[in-house]
Amino acid sequence: MTRLRSLLLAGVAVVAAPIAAQAQPAADTIVVGISADINTFDPANISSRDNSNIAKHIFGTLYEITPEGEIVPDLAESYVEAEDGMSYTYTLREGLMCEDGEALTAEDAAFSFNRAADKANNFTGNTPGFVYSSIQFQSAEAVSDREVKINLGRKNPVSFGLIAEVFIHCKDSYEGKSLEDAAAKPIGSGPYKLASWQPGSQVVLERVKEDEAKAASIIWRVIPEASTRSAELIAGNVDIITNVAPDQLDAVNNSGSAEVKAVQGTRRIYVGFNQKAAFADATPGGKAIQDTAVRVALQYAVDVPTICKQLLNFECVRADGLVNPPNDNPNLEPYPYDPEMAEKLLDEAGYPRGADGTRFSIKMQAPRGRYLNDANVALAIGQYLTDVGVNTEVELLEWASVYVPLIRSHDAGPMFLLGTGGGTWSPLYDMTDLSTPTAGTNYTEWSNPEWFDGWAEISAATTDEERRVVIDRMLEVFYNDPPWLMLYFQPDFYGVSKRVDFQPRRDEKVYLFETNIVSGG
Amino acid sequence: MTFIIRRLLQSLVVIIGVTLITFLALQMSGDPTYLYVSERATEEEIIQTRAALGFDRPLHEQYLTFIGKLVQGDFGNSLSYKRPALGAVLEALPATIELTLFAMMLAIVVAIPLGVAAALNRGTPVDGSIMTVAMAGQSIPSFWLGIMMIMFLGLQMRFLPISGHVPFIMPLVQGDVVRAFSQLPQALYYLIMPGFAVAFYSISRNARLVRSSMLEVLGQDYVRTARAKGISETAVVIRHALRNAWLPVVTMIGLEFGFLLGGVVVVEMVFSWPGIGRLIFNAINQRDIPVVQAAVVILALVFITLNLIVDLIYAKIDPRVKL
Repeated sequence: MTRLRSLLLAGVAVVAAPIAAQAQPAADTIVVGISADINTFDPANISSRDNSNIAKHIFGTLYEITPEGEIVPDLAESYVEAEDGMSYTYTLREGLMCEDGEALTAEDAAFSFNRAADKANNFTGNTPGFVYSSIQFQSAEAVSDREVKINLGRKNPVSFGLIAEVFIHCKDSYEGKSLEDAAAKPIGSGPYKLASWQPGSQVVLERVKEDEAKAASIIWRVIPEASTRSAELIAGNVDIITNVAPDQLDAVNNSGSAEVKAVQGTRRIYVGFNQKAAFADATPGGKAIQDTAVRVALQYAVDVPTICKQLLNFECVRADGLVNPPNDNPNLEPYPYDPEMAEKLLDEAGYPRGADGTRFSIKMQAPRGRYLNDANVALAIGQYLTDVGVNTEVELLEWASVYVPLIRSHDAGPMFLLGTGGGTWSPLYDMTDLSTPTAGTNYTEWSNPEWFDGWAEISAATTDEERRVVIDRMLEVFYNDPPWLMLYFQPDFYGVSKRVDFQPRRDEKVYLFETNIVSGG
Repeated sequence: MTFIIRRLLQSLVVIIGVTLITFLALQMSGDPTYLYVSERATEEEIIQTRAALGFDRPLHEQYLTFIGKLVQGDFGNSLSYKRPALGAVLEALPATIELTLFAMMLAIVVAIPLGVAAALNRGTPVDGSIMTVAMAGQSIPSFWLGIMMIMFLGLQMRFLPISGHVPFIMPLVQGDVVRAFSQLPQALYYLIMPGFAVAFYSISRNARLVRSSMLEVLGQDYVRTARAKGISETAVVIRHALRNAWLPVVTMIGLEFGFLLGGVVVVEMVFSWPGIGRLIFNAINQRDIPVVQAAVVILALVFITLNLIVDLIYAKIDPRVKL
C-alpha cells in the first residue's frame, strides 16, 4: 500500500513539476489578471476599459493623460490650437516608427483619425462613438511631414483631452487590411507589440521599444471570477489584479505575498432625482422631489461615509458635486449626515410626517451587479430615507436589458442609482453630462437656467482663470439646487504582488510602462 | 436508413424552433443598441447605430434575414467581436468539448464502480457512505464546489492549477498533432478541477442509477441461475448483471453530454475556461445576438447528433430495440 502511494505521488510530481514551474511569472514578465474578455485590437472598435488598457501599450496617442490629470506629449511633441478653437495642429516627434518598421508621419496620424470616422466600416468603438461625437470631428489632414491638423465642428474646451484618447497607427499596414485582420493582428506604434492572443484566455505583449517600457513582456490573463483572480494573486501566479471584491481585501492583505491598493476612482455614484413631468404627475414622491428644498433635505438623510466603510470596505470622502477632486469647487463642503436637519427641512418644505410616520412614498430604482455592491448600497440608501419619513421602495433591476433603456430614455425613477464615468484632467469633462437641458446624459432632466447659461460664459472665457470662476459658480448652483443625491466616487481595488511596484491610477487606466519588477518573486 | 433520414428531418424542425425561441427571447429582453453606443451618445447617434446593427428593421424581417443567411452557414458578424460569429463560437467550442468529454468520462468511470459497489454491499456502511456522498453531489452547486476546490486544492495545497486552460483539441484540429500530444499531460492537469466540478452532479446521479439498476438485475432469475451453475461472483456481476444493468445507463449517458454542456457555463467562469459557456454568458450580457444564435445552433446540433448516435448504439446493444 505504501509502495503504491509512493508511486502515485511520484507520478503526480512528474506531471505537476513542469506545470508548477510555468505558473509563476518569468523574471522579466508582468502578469495581470483582468475581469473582461478582450474583443478586438482594431483601434477604432475598442470600447471597454480592459481592452483599451492593453491597446494603449500597443498604440501610441498624440498626447496622453498622466495619473495626476496632466495632458502631456506622447507621439506628438507640441500642438497649436486655432484661435477660433475649431482645429488643433500637432507636431509629431522625429523618428517615429511603427512596429513593422514603417516610418510614422503626419499622413499616418491623419489616416488613423479618418479611418475611425469612416462610416463604411461601421465602427462602434470609443473613438468614433464617444470622442468624435463629443468633439464633432470633421477630418484630419497632414499639413507637413510632421504636422497633422484635426478639424472640429465646434469649439469645445475638452477637445484636447479627448483627442488624447485616439490611437495612432501607420497607414500602409492598415490600408489594405481586412477588418477581421485589423481586429486580430494589430500593427502598433507603441512600446509593445502583440505576441499572441488566445481569445477568452490571455494576451501576450512583447516589448519593441526598450527605452519606453521596463518589463520585457506583459501577459494579460482573463480571469472573470473575482475570487479566482484573488487566488491566483495570492498563489503568486499573477502580479496585478483588477477589481478585487471588497470581501476579499483581508484575504489578499493577509497573504503576505500581495496587498490591496485602493484608490478613489473617477466614476461618480449618485442617486438621480428624475424631474420629468410624467413622474411629478404620477406619484406624490415624484412631485415632492421637484422641490429644491426636498432634494437638499434628502442630502442630509444619508450617511455616505458609513455606506463606504461598511459596504465598500473603503474610507471615502463624500462627493460635493459632479466634478472629481481636485477639480471640484474648493469652497464647497460635502453635505454632512444630519437626519435631524433632514427632518427639519422636510417639515419646512411642507412634507410633515403623517399619522403613520410617513411624509411621502417614493420608488428608487437601482441596477444589480453593475457597480461595486450596488444593490446593497441602494437598499441602505432606501433605509436611510425611510428613517426620515420618506418611505422608499427600492426596485433592483437587471442592467443590460432593463436598466440601460430606462436610463437612456430618462424613464428611470423617480429616484435612480447610477454611476457615470469621470476624469481627472478637466472639470468640464465631468460637467458635460449636463451640457444642455436635453442632453442624453442629463438623465434627471434638470433644467436650472443658472447652470445651463454658464456654458456660454465658459465658451466666451479667454483665460483659464476666467473659466474657473464660471465653473465654480456653476458648481455652487449644482450644490444648492441638487439634481443628484450626491454619494461618492467609486473606489477601485487593485491586488498587487510584492514582486512589482505598480501604483494604480484613479481613472481605471492600467499602464505598465513604468512598472518595475522589484524581486524575483 | 429511413430512421436516420426521419431523425434528420425532425432535427431540422428542432433547429428552426431553437433559433426562433432564442431570437424572440433576446428581442424581448430589450433594445441592444444602447450597449453599443457611448453613454454620451446623442439620439441621432443612437438611431445611426441601431440602423448599422440592423435593429431598426421589423422583427420578422430580421429573423427571415437571419434564417436566409443561416442556410448558407452565415450567422452574421458578432456585434462585440466584429468578426464572424460562427468563427468565435467554433474557436471556443474545442475547450468546452474537452471539458465536457472529460467530465463525461469521470461521470462514467467513477460512477459505475461506485454504483456497483453500493449495490453489492446493499445496506452496509459502504452502501451508506457512497449514497451519502451521492446525495451531497446532487445538492452542492458546481460553482461553490469549484471555488472550494480552488481554495483548498489550488491555493492551500498548491496541488492543482487554480485556473486556465491548455488546449488539446485545437492543435489537433489545426493539424499540429505533436504539439497536441506533447501538452496532453498539462491539458489533463488543468482539466481535473473544472472537470470534477462539472461532473460531480452526474457522478452522483449515475452512481445512484447504476446501484438501483444493478439491484434490480441481481434479483433476476438468470443471475440466480448463473450463480447456481457455480460461476464466480465476479463473472456473474460483470458478465451477467452489469451487462444488463448497462442499458438505462447508456440512455442516461446520451443525455449526459447535453446536460454537462449546460452545466459548463458557471464552471467556465469560475475556472477562466475559454469555452463556449463563457462565450454565451458574455454574449447574452452584451446582447450579441449573432454569437448567441450561432452558439445555440451549434450546441443543438451537437446534442441532436449525440442523441442519434446513442439511439443507434442502443439498437446495437439491445437486440429487442428496432429502429
